[in-house]
Amino acid sequence: MADVYAIEALKKALRRLPGVGPKTARRMAFHLLERDREGAREIAAAINQAVQTVTHCRRCNTLSEAQLCDICASAKRDDALLCVVETPADLESVEQAGVYSGKYFVLMGHISPLDGIGPDDLGIDRLRQLLSNGGIREVIVATNLTVEGEATADYIRQITDTLDVKVTRLARGVPVGGELEYMDHGTLAQAFNDRRSI
Amino acid sequence: MRVHQQPGYVLHTRPYRESSLLVEVFTKDHGRLSLLAKGARQLKSRIRGLLCPFQSLLLSWSGRGELPILTAAEFDQAYAELTGEHRLCGFYVNELLMYLLHRHDPHSRLYDCYRQVVDRLAQSCDYEWSLRIFEKNLLRELGYALNLEYDATTNQAIDPKSSYSYVPEFGAVKVTAGGYNGVIVNGSTLITLHREELADEYAKAECKRLMRVMINRQLGRRVLHSRKLFGGLRVAAAGGAER
Ligand SMILES: [Zn+2]
Repeated sequence: MADVYAIEALKKALRRLPGVGPKTARRMAFHLLERDREGAREIAAAINQAVQTVTHCRRCNTLSEAQLCDICASAKRDDALLCVVETPADLESVEQAGVYSGKYFVLMGHISPLDGIGPDDLGIDRLRQLLSNGGIREVIVATNLTVEGEATADYIRQITDTLDVKVTRLARGVPVGGELEYMDHGTLAQAFNDRRSI
Repeated sequence: MRVHQQPGYVLHTRPYRESSLLVEVFTKDHGRLSLLAKGARQLKSRIRGLLCPFQSLLLSWSGRGELPILTAAEFDQAYAELTGEHRLCGFYVNELLMYLLHRHDPHSRLYDCYRQVVDRLAQSCDYEWSLRIFEKNLLRELGYALNLEYDATTNQAIDPKSSYSYVPEFGAVKVTAGGYNGVIVNGSTLITLHREELADEYAKAECKRLMRVMINRQLGRRVLHSRKLFGGLRVAAAGGAER
């Protein structure tokens, strides 16, 4: 039965999305087909369009429609500062925090030996190249505060050893508005290790 | 089944569904297993910060089958962080456990060795020897214990002053006997490894070579990514290849 096959194929396709299990996929598929065919066409067209036009910025490696993304192309951003993040979503978060006016480099992941991901699978070679071109005064390593993010930060520090560039790492600790009583003990322990004089 | 406050370590975590975490753990009495930490990736989660590798934890879970639910986690010891090279070594031992241990087989003696390695890595003291002891015990748990006490052909006690050729799955044979193509090690090194005594630099280097061959046999064609990473860093730092 060809019609059933098409629904199954849609469900299977939807399950590729992060966080979507069989139940959610089924709900989504039926919703689109029963109630929102217009929406379904719109989604299909948008996905098609994005897949065809979005590539990686040739400077910072983030997702971009142009060869050079808006941030890299901007004359207002400080070229001497480079913030290294794991994903485009992380870049967006830093942007929304509104405290940073330099440029970025997006690794598209982190080093994780247990997942079989090494430096060669990330954009680290391109980062090395970007750094050796000179003109960068400070690299701010904003990878996640997980063991993998820290291992990635280590690796980045190593490749900058021979270059004349300052390398900094995001601070970690008590979140703004955080109440100690309700905080997870891992974060609290790290905040103690990283305490500073006042 | 309910398990209450079982000593264990997180080996690896992976995102699961929208907000949960799939946690691979190595525990004292239940060996290696997977647990589901529901909602652990939510911002308000109080256990996310605990479910990190290399932390000695007390884990509670319930449920049968392939994926029990993690119900509680707390620190068992002070928070310990591995950094730099030590972190890579930590990845190495975790990778070995993930690849070589079957799920749900208890290995409490190996657990103690693991704990010792991680402790030494966290304290940044000399960890190489703990690593060798861990590897030796891992092989024993896998059913490939080394025969470090007796000559495999004559059954005589290993002579500390003789040179031996260690043949995997067979044992140590005096080099003077000829005909065996194993790893060359001193008798004294074999005895030191057997007794898990403190080793000098020479014995450590010999054991490292021996264990690498033995571990590689277990891994088969599998590549250890942590080892690759280690090699890459050493090459970058020292300008020489790590062997
Ligand atoms: Zn860019």
